[in-house]
Amino acid sequence: MRARLLRSRRVVIAATMAAAVVSVLAAQQAPPAQPNFDAVTVRSFKVQDHVFMLAGAGGNITAQIGNDGVLVVDTQFAQMADKLLAEIARLSGNKPIRYIIDTHVHPDHVGGNERFRRAGRAIVAGNVAGDVRGNEGATVIAHETVAARMSQQDGTTPPAPGGAIPTDTFFGESDEVFFNGEAVQLIHQPAAHTDGDVMVFFRKSDVIATGDVYVNTSYPVIDTARGGTIDGIIAGLNHIIEITVPRDKQEGGTMVIPGHGRIADEADVVEYRDMVTIIRDRVRDMTKKGMTLQQIKAAGPTSDYDGRYGATSGFWTTDNFVEAVYRTLGGK
Amino acid sequence: MTLNRTCAGLTLLAAIMFTAPRPAAAQVNVVGYWNPLVADEDFIERVPGPNVGDYAGLPITNAARKRANTWDASLLTLPEHQCKPHPSTYGFRGIGVLRIWEEREAATQQLVRIKTHIQWQAQERDIWMDGRPEPSELEPHTWQGFSTGKFEGDVLVVRTTHLKAGWIRRNGLPLSDRATMTERFIRHGDLLTHVMMLEDPVYLSEPLVKTNGFAVAPTGTMEPYPCRPAVEVPREAGEVPHHGIDDAPPTREFAERHGIPEEAAAGGAATALPEFMSKLPSLPMAEPKGDPNEGFGPPAPPGGRGAGPGRGRGAGPDGAPPAAGRGR
Amino acid sequence: MKATWGLVGAAVVMSWAAQAAAQFPPPGGGPPPTPRASAPIDLTGVWVSIVNEDWRWRMITAPRGDFPGLPLSPAGRAIAMAWDPKTDGSCKAFGAAAVMRMPTRVRISWADDVTLKIETDNGQQTRLLHFGAGRPPGAPSLQGDSAADWQRTLPPNNPFGINFPGGPPPPPGGSLRVVTTNLSGGWLRRNGVPYSAKTTVTEFFDRFPVPDGSEWFVVTTQVVDPEYLLGRLVTSSHFRREPDASKWAPKPCRT
Repeated sequence: MRARLLRSRRVVIAATMAAAVVSVLAAQQAPPAQPNFDAVTVRSFKVQDHVFMLAGAGGNITAQIGNDGVLVVDTQFAQMADKLLAEIARLSGNKPIRYIIDTHVHPDHVGGNERFRRAGRAIVAGNVAGDVRGNEGATVIAHETVAARMSQQDGTTPPAPGGAIPTDTFFGESDEVFFNGEAVQLIHQPAAHTDGDVMVFFRKSDVIATGDVYVNTSYPVIDTARGGTIDGIIAGLNHIIEITVPRDKQEGGTMVIPGHGRIADEADVVEYRDMVTIIRDRVRDMTKKGMTLQQIKAAGPTSDYDGRYGATSGFWTTDNFVEAVYRTLGGK
Repeated sequence: MTLNRTCAGLTLLAAIMFTAPRPAAAQVNVVGYWNPLVADEDFIERVPGPNVGDYAGLPITNAARKRANTWDASLLTLPEHQCKPHPSTYGFRGIGVLRIWEEREAATQQLVRIKTHIQWQAQERDIWMDGRPEPSELEPHTWQGFSTGKFEGDVLVVRTTHLKAGWIRRNGLPLSDRATMTERFIRHGDLLTHVMMLEDPVYLSEPLVKTNGFAVAPTGTMEPYPCRPAVEVPREAGEVPHHGIDDAPPTREFAERHGIPEEAAAGGAATALPEFMSKLPSLPMAEPKGDPNEGFGPPAPPGGRGAGPGRGRGAGPDGAPPAAGRGR
Repeated sequence: MKATWGLVGAAVVMSWAAQAAAQFPPPGGGPPPTPRASAPIDLTGVWVSIVNEDWRWRMITAPRGDFPGLPLSPAGRAIAMAWDPKTDGSCKAFGAAAVMRMPTRVRISWADDVTLKIETDNGQQTRLLHFGAGRPPGAPSLQGDSAADWQRTLPPNNPFGINFPGGPPPPPGGSLRVVTTNLSGGWLRRNGVPYSAKTTVTEFFDRFPVPDGSEWFVVTTQVVDPEYLLGRLVTSSHFRREPDASKWAPKPCRT
């Protein structure tokens, strides 16, 4: 049973990460083969109150479901849209998707934007109630850098289809929506996984969807080509810890939906934050001593965590992580 | 009339006795309050706490050793670390009364779960006895994990998964969130022997088996254990206390304090085997410094450490004392 | 009509009772099996102690006075504090109250159908565990006199607490219980923590598998010494089965 679970977990992680590599290392190495989407099953989990997590291939999706309709955070890959939309319809009783929030620009999180958007229906707020602009689909909200990147060619990734590009963007520290009886805060976390990261906090359901600022499947993926930095990742993790409040004995309370991996709480984020901070400190200390990148890698600043988070092959190896930490700390 | 009632009663009695489903064995009763016998074995580890740098006898990997060698106890002063309970992989070795009770389905009296509660940090745990499957690997992990149990004869056997990252020993030796645990609760009269078998593909090179005892508590009391974190040590935002990987490992200090080879303090599966005793005389060994009891026993008398063959080594392979001057 | 149903019910009861009785062995039918033949668990073989608890009191000899937590009486404490380290390695540390706590391999075998033998390579000790009553005690000794019996898994208790005479065959599983008396006294720890000749040692041996496929046993040892201990001392020591005796390494203790 345990072996089967481990194998299943490896399949999910491999499929997810293999797909996400396209955008991160596009300029550096050939992207790996796409996962076999036909073989991927969508699984849904109730997290807390109105909020569900859906896992398939790609980043975790968050769905807030209620009488107003459905708000989703991220949309995985376009090839998964049918299955995901079917599961959302089942969970919601066929309620329309009103809002889509993109946590960042990577295709394993925004690949399904166009399909989700067209399957949904926007609500116009303000003085006009009801479904006035029904033909335009759901509202897609993201940080403006996400829209900018999806609109232009950044080297190897073609611009996204028009229907996938966010319709509503913001450029400050935060944005907000009130939906299904609760405040939904969109929190921009600068220069973390990318330069356009957004975390979504459902205040009443007490759930935060973190995008890839927090994952529990690997070392943090730092997309340096798109403004990601190790200090930004750590700032983001500490921000999550500030927001979360455990119910009792550092467990439960505010639940955390990571970009990839299992449903978590504050203690899980703390464990991850500690690890990332310690490794960053080690690399920084070695850099200050004048060690080269190769010397730092040879010193094994991550070796006590590699068994849990490391990889020697695939799109995001331990070496990739150490190099990203080194470079974003100013190493040349 | 009386004969008919008697016959009817006997009929009913026989029907119950011979048709009601019964377990293959008696399922010994583990319910009640239990005192951990912490003074009798592993006192230092379980009560005041293990020494930093003491990993002797534990089948740890190099990764675990490095984690522990760079661990700083000040980490526990961070508010987000203060109220963590022992995970179920460690709680039964700690202090605090243990209470065990059953919950049964009212109509069928089927045993649904056995619950345990340990006083320190209110560690409460469900052991599901109704055969329910493990949750998905994407479900949350908890401090106590997800436990299922069954009786094998008189022994309660429990398997636990879905654990949060915890500790093998509370001196920094980590246990990953991929660990699983199997336990056996064995009762003999008023004694309960708890056998714990830990597996961790990240931090243990082989299963770690620990056994410790509980005795029936004559009086059942359980106090609550509220905990609310507070900032105890002013720090820079985001600071995580830890030692550098180039700092002197704490195994060295522990070895020097107790006059044992650092290789022994550093642990590993080989240090638990009897043949390690034969290796000891060949290993560098410092003279012990300081009070070995560290305040938890009578102070060592002057000259009480002995210069004879008994100083930390025991008899050699052929019964002869080890050579004088080696490692001293 | 009511009388008819009552008689039918009585007939059913008697029929069931007859069927139940037929399952049970008739009293007085053949000699009881020997302890060896009826052993509910198999403890024979070579086993190695895994010392991951109390390491620096078991694997090495701790300094004089280093015995935190032990419930020693004032008399026991005085003797412990007077221990001479030059006597380290003495066979006194390998008596029945403490030998299973030593780092050692043990070889368990049947000396005969009613006697289980435990040998240790460290200290080269031999314990004889006798099943059955009526053995006259010998002189007090380091290993004392050990009376063994099998503690079998309890049979299921029917709802009315009634068990038929003779009873059904016991379910599988059980433990070995050993009570040892007539000891000459010795050391509970290598650094001279004493136990007296008035000591009684009660042990329970339980087998268990570990998920990696290895086989183990745990011995829960209860030491009661009215002279040197305040209350009982309970330890649990675990051993892993060895594939063979290739690592058996006899090492004598000092007499």
